Amino acid sequence: MKTETMTSGKESVGSTTAKLGGLADEIAVKRKRSRMMSGAFSIFLLALVLWSVDVTVIKDTDWERIGSLENVLEATNRFIGIDFELFSNLFVPALETLLIACLGTFFGLILCIPAAWFGAMNITPYKPVTYPLARLMMTLSRSIHEIVWALFFVAVVGLGAMAGVMAIAVRSVGFIAKMTAEAIEDIDYRPVEAIRAVGGSPFQVIYYAILPQVLPQIVSVVVFEWEINIRRSAILGLVGAGGLGLVFFRQMNTYNYHGVTTVILAILIIILLGEAVSYFVRRRLI
Amino acid sequence: MAVLKVSDLHARYSAKGPEILKGISFEVEDNDFFAIIGPSGAGKSTLIRCINRLVEPTSGTIIFDGRDVTKLNRRGLRGLRRDIGMIFQEFNLINRMSVMDNVLSGRLGYTSDWRTLFRAFPRKDIDHALMLLERVGLIDHVDKRADELSGGQRQRVGIARALMQDPKLMLLDEPTSALDPKISREVMALIKQMAQELKVPCLCNIHDVKLATEFCNKIIGLQDGVTMFSGPTEQMNEEKLGEIYAMEVL
Amino acid sequence: MDKSSMAIENPASRRKWRRFKYPDSLYGYGAWLIAFTVIVFSIEYLNIPLDRLLGMLGRMGDILAARYYPPDIEYIMDQDYFGYVVETIQMAYLGALFGLLITIPVAWFASYNMTPSRLFVYPIARMFGMSCRAVHETIWAILFVSILGFGMLPGVLALTLFSTGFAAKLFAEEIESIDMGPVEAMRATGANLFQVMVFGVWPQVRVAFTGIAIYTWDVAFRAATVVGFFGAGGMGWYLKRNVLQIETERVAAIIISIIVLVIISEAISAWARQVVMKMK
Repeated sequence: MKTETMTSGKESVGSTTAKLGGLADEIAVKRKRSRMMSGAFSIFLLALVLWSVDVTVIKDTDWERIGSLENVLEATNRFIGIDFELFSNLFVPALETLLIACLGTFFGLILCIPAAWFGAMNITPYKPVTYPLARLMMTLSRSIHEIVWALFFVAVVGLGAMAGVMAIAVRSVGFIAKMTAEAIEDIDYRPVEAIRAVGGSPFQVIYYAILPQVLPQIVSVVVFEWEINIRRSAILGLVGAGGLGLVFFRQMNTYNYHGVTTVILAILIIILLGEAVSYFVRRRLI
Repeated sequence: MAVLKVSDLHARYSAKGPEILKGISFEVEDNDFFAIIGPSGAGKSTLIRCINRLVEPTSGTIIFDGRDVTKLNRRGLRGLRRDIGMIFQEFNLINRMSVMDNVLSGRLGYTSDWRTLFRAFPRKDIDHALMLLERVGLIDHVDKRADELSGGQRQRVGIARALMQDPKLMLLDEPTSALDPKISREVMALIKQMAQELKVPCLCNIHDVKLATEFCNKIIGLQDGVTMFSGPTEQMNEEKLGEIYAMEVL
Repeated sequence: MDKSSMAIENPASRRKWRRFKYPDSLYGYGAWLIAFTVIVFSIEYLNIPLDRLLGMLGRMGDILAARYYPPDIEYIMDQDYFGYVVETIQMAYLGALFGLLITIPVAWFASYNMTPSRLFVYPIARMFGMSCRAVHETIWAILFVSILGFGMLPGVLALTLFSTGFAAKLFAEEIESIDMGPVEAMRATGANLFQVMVFGVWPQVRVAFTGIAIYTWDVAFRAATVVGFFGAGGMGWYLKRNVLQIETERVAAIIISIIVLVIISEAISAWARQVVMKMK
């Protein structure tokens, strides 16, 4: 709120000096008004938050079911511990999770080629059609949560890793394509001109003059997305798309809370692994 | 014989925008080193880009090598562009690629998309590129990235790239204005030497009148899209220069 | 014609050139080989029927046309459903708000240049941020539901941790990239840690933080649409019910409503970010 007051204050100074009349009064009035506005706005926000807290947290919660703090601690306490017997059953799902992420990212990258090409304002083949088409693809991909995508693909191709791979591929398109298209829109045009001047075809212009410029960004975005995809593929099993999520689901359903913790730790470990790889790759390539 | 014949060329960037070129005519003959001079904003860059249609002229004719440039279709245009080498003011190299790949990119007009995909240039092209790099003095920098080189070295890569095309004409768009005076002279000398050796006529757009009179045999002077002077370098004098640069405060 | 063999011909200078020279070529090919192997192995291991993939696209179209079309728009034009949408929005901004409140100290402690103690506080804050980020929002939702029961509270808590994980890393990076000059000046005057933070650091990162906050709201809303799937309130619960009952046309309608809401929230946040940029 402080910022708002300050900037609008500055603006009013600028506009009044331009008019060169009745300076001080006007400034004072405007300052007062903007302060009042921002004050009203903060009160409004505060009221909104309080109302939401009241509705969501206070009224909607079954406080009796939760009971006292002790009950909550007790409930939490159940999760503390590791189920060592589960270890041997975790390797295969963990590998599966990792591979689903890899393959999903890979297919996502393939889907990105048209999306980024059509979605970059400066190289899209036919602006009135291809540009909105690509934007639609990106928005669909980003606005639908991976769980929903997975549900849909489970319905189409049945239970199993395939649905997970497709869900992740489709979900990755939006972000990668958006970042790539933005990178393409910011390129340096001089090499493009040079390749056109030597008689390069449109493909050669993209491949020789544009791609080298945006490749580092693409690599870093893809690696970043891959890291996120590991996280996603670890939960897709919850809706039947294979991997660690399925184990998690089973442990939860059999009330094996130590098992739940173990699975979460396993997820943390493969994510750490992914983060290490991504750090290394980005270090090397940029 | 004229390699390039430009007559009554008009150009503007947009339908409502100001006319940049207002009826330019000239001829470039074999072994010419043809200079276009004039103050900045006179339309020099536009003129040179009209020749290979990086900018579309609005009217007038350009005859290059027996082809009517303004009427070429897409395919014909590619053929035209690969016969015309171009050297740019800011080098226009692909910074993240090696010197070798930059030079080889001069052959793209002759290379199929499939070969491009794997960057599989024929051995002949690679040998040719090595020879050119030797000539421009960059043989020890073949595998360096283009952005590791100094300005003068980068322009040498640009020269090698243009020569890679086996051009029938070279367009030089202010090839030296991003370089310091000493290097400028070296680069111009190199271009002239190579052009004479390979018998390629050059059309050079140049800001520095001293360099123009030193290296070029013909000069056309533009001011605000209109020809103010056209003729051999010997006919150029202070008075005519004054006319051309009248708009500019000297 | 043969200009290429022209005057420059100078056999003595001919050198062999290869795109890939010995050690580098090995790494290059090795990396490609590894990538290729991983992909092929994954396809094998996960039993992805590549040959049926194209057929599946056709089937996808059929399924979409037969089962998900036409979407049951009337179903979502319901007062009840609207209530759930409002709940979702509330959960999202409460989660984002609480998450951002937690983010401020976490990011402070997890920024290498400003952390009070590089030995103890820094790694702990980093670990905290990382685990918030690493565990998916749906897992947080399931855990909180199992501890606190159904309702919106677990949803808000799950989104809080999710938002913390998301924002803490970005904000810590922002703090790490500040100009240390004012900070040193503050320290020289003998200001304590908190004062340095408020007067030396905050003015520099304020705009960036607002941007991050808006972005956090955006992703929190997307996450909020599904936490209900596991019993944590909001429209996700609606989705789950209809999925289980195989009311596919209703599911389609719900998904459409989600897309519309996300587009609206994206437009609002884009506008808000623009306003913030102007203030800068």
